[in-house]
Amino acid sequence: MAYFIVVLLDDNRFDKIKGTELEKEVQYMFGGELRCLNVEVSEELKEKILKEFDTARIDSRGAITDVPVAFLRELFNQVADKKTLGGEVIEGVLAKVDEIKELAAKESEFLPAPDIEV
Amino acid sequence: MSSLIIERPLPHGGRLVERVIRDKEAAKKMIKGCPTYEIKPTLHYETGVPVRNVYREIMSICYGFFSPVEGSMKKAEVERILKERRLLNDWIFPYPLVFDISKEEYKELGVTAGDRLVLNLKGKPFAILDIEEIWEIEDPEELAHKTFGTPEDNPEVVKEPFNKKHPGWVIYRSLQPIVLAGKYTIINEPKFRAPFDRFWFPPRKCREEFDNRNWRTAICHQTRNVPHVGHEFLMKNAAYTGDVEPCHGILVNAIIGVKRRGDYPDEAILEGQEAVTTAGYIKSERRLVSMCLWDMRYGNPLESLLHGIIRQNMGCTHHMFGRDHAAVGEYYDKWSTQILWTEGIPSFGFPKPPTDVPYGLNIRPQNMREFSYCPTCKEMAYSETCGHKREKLSGSFLRGMVAEGVQPPAIIMRPEVYKAVVKWWKHFNYPFCNEKYVINKEKELEVDLEDL
Ligand SMILES: [Zn+2]
Repeated sequence: MAYFIVVLLDDNRFDKIKGTELEKEVQYMFGGELRCLNVEVSEELKEKILKEFDTARIDSRGAITDVPVAFLRELFNQVADKKTLGGEVIEGVLAKVDEIKELAAKESEFLPAPDIEV
Repeated sequence: MSSLIIERPLPHGGRLVERVIRDKEAAKKMIKGCPTYEIKPTLHYETGVPVRNVYREIMSICYGFFSPVEGSMKKAEVERILKERRLLNDWIFPYPLVFDISKEEYKELGVTAGDRLVLNLKGKPFAILDIEEIWEIEDPEELAHKTFGTPEDNPEVVKEPFNKKHPGWVIYRSLQPIVLAGKYTIINEPKFRAPFDRFWFPPRKCREEFDNRNWRTAICHQTRNVPHVGHEFLMKNAAYTGDVEPCHGILVNAIIGVKRRGDYPDEAILEGQEAVTTAGYIKSERRLVSMCLWDMRYGNPLESLLHGIIRQNMGCTHHMFGRDHAAVGEYYDKWSTQILWTEGIPSFGFPKPPTDVPYGLNIRPQNMREFSYCPTCKEMAYSETCGHKREKLSGSFLRGMVAEGVQPPAIIMRPEVYKAVVKWWKHFNYPFCNEKYVINKEKELEVDLEDL
């Protein structure tokens, strides 16, 4: 079974990958309104994620869900940075596992607000 | 006029209860020499976390949301409610409502039937309780079970025995043993803080507002949520019921009270709902956002009965009900509310629906399923009409998206609604209710009081 993690793209995030190779990989939901990228996860990396983050789950499609928000934010940063959906982005995230865990521990009380005009 | 025209119903019980003294001098005279009691939150019987504040019940009773209830209930009234969901004056009502204090406090106060007790809130005089009877809750656990029902006694709809995972059950389980029964009167009107103040439409004011807007028919949408587009479509489409034309108005009534971690903050709920109107998705001539103070009991069919009472009192002709209405967990059948309003639930005292029994309600249920996006129809489609595979939006998916700081697409959440969420996110440093919010809310409440 192939595993993957969905990276959601709002306009802000989409702008950061626009014009790169990644743009071809974008998938659409809700009539094209919601864009996302699916990052592949190997068996080995899936095991690592499950070991490091005990909230993580695998759904029936093979999507890894319920990882901390800090994990998902870093995953997007890695994707935008490395311009790939390959295994190295997950490795890049896992290289920062301590930092992510520290942020995740605070997530029940603090989450940074998006920088939009209100 | 067509004989099919639906007129605005009278309040439940025939007239609106209004127990608010606005003359401060008269109020001062009324409380002279009376003993005083500072209102405290009801604390969870095990964890000590606030689970209810009786001030919200006093407000909802005295401003008429719960008409014809006028105060803290006597023992015989509570017993009748638990047996057949009726008040002593025969009108139907789902829940016991009591003013409870500890035995130590009772001893210290030294009050008896016939005494007037001044109830302070946040250190200021707020209301009086004219004590008619003092009685004791002998077994709060039994009271909690009887309030919500059991699989044995209510096999039509109760699937699992209630326990401490149910927040409504916990409220009754956590009551103090001594009940001071009698009528409440507010003697010093609390002032709502922004943004709550502009959503305060107690029944008389709400009915006047309906008159001003020429709303003969109005359908209520119960909420405890920031609206996504599925909710918006539910409201718009449910409102096509009415009499000879669609409902003139949609009344959004948010239940404001004690919060659970992970809920959206009340401020974001109210302003998010308001944004649907101000941004024109449903124009303001047709939609009014309002609130009612109440610590949710999550009693599914029983809660729907209370909602029917509140909204009939506010002047609505119709009420939307969905699956798992005001429910938590799987204690009740998912469709218990629909069963109550279409067939009745005999074990709860309703051999027929609450609209078809004597001293019952006069508000029409509009039982609705769900709207979700259909990529084939290319629109938000109703589950019972669209024959395609739709993209269902789960609450947890949307919450996950919000938590990640990703703006949901406009087909899921309107940008103006999202802005309201982010506004309060910035204010509280969190998009949902965290522990700090929950604790602080019960300390600050929604109101402030001036000196009398
Ligand atoms: Zn369709």
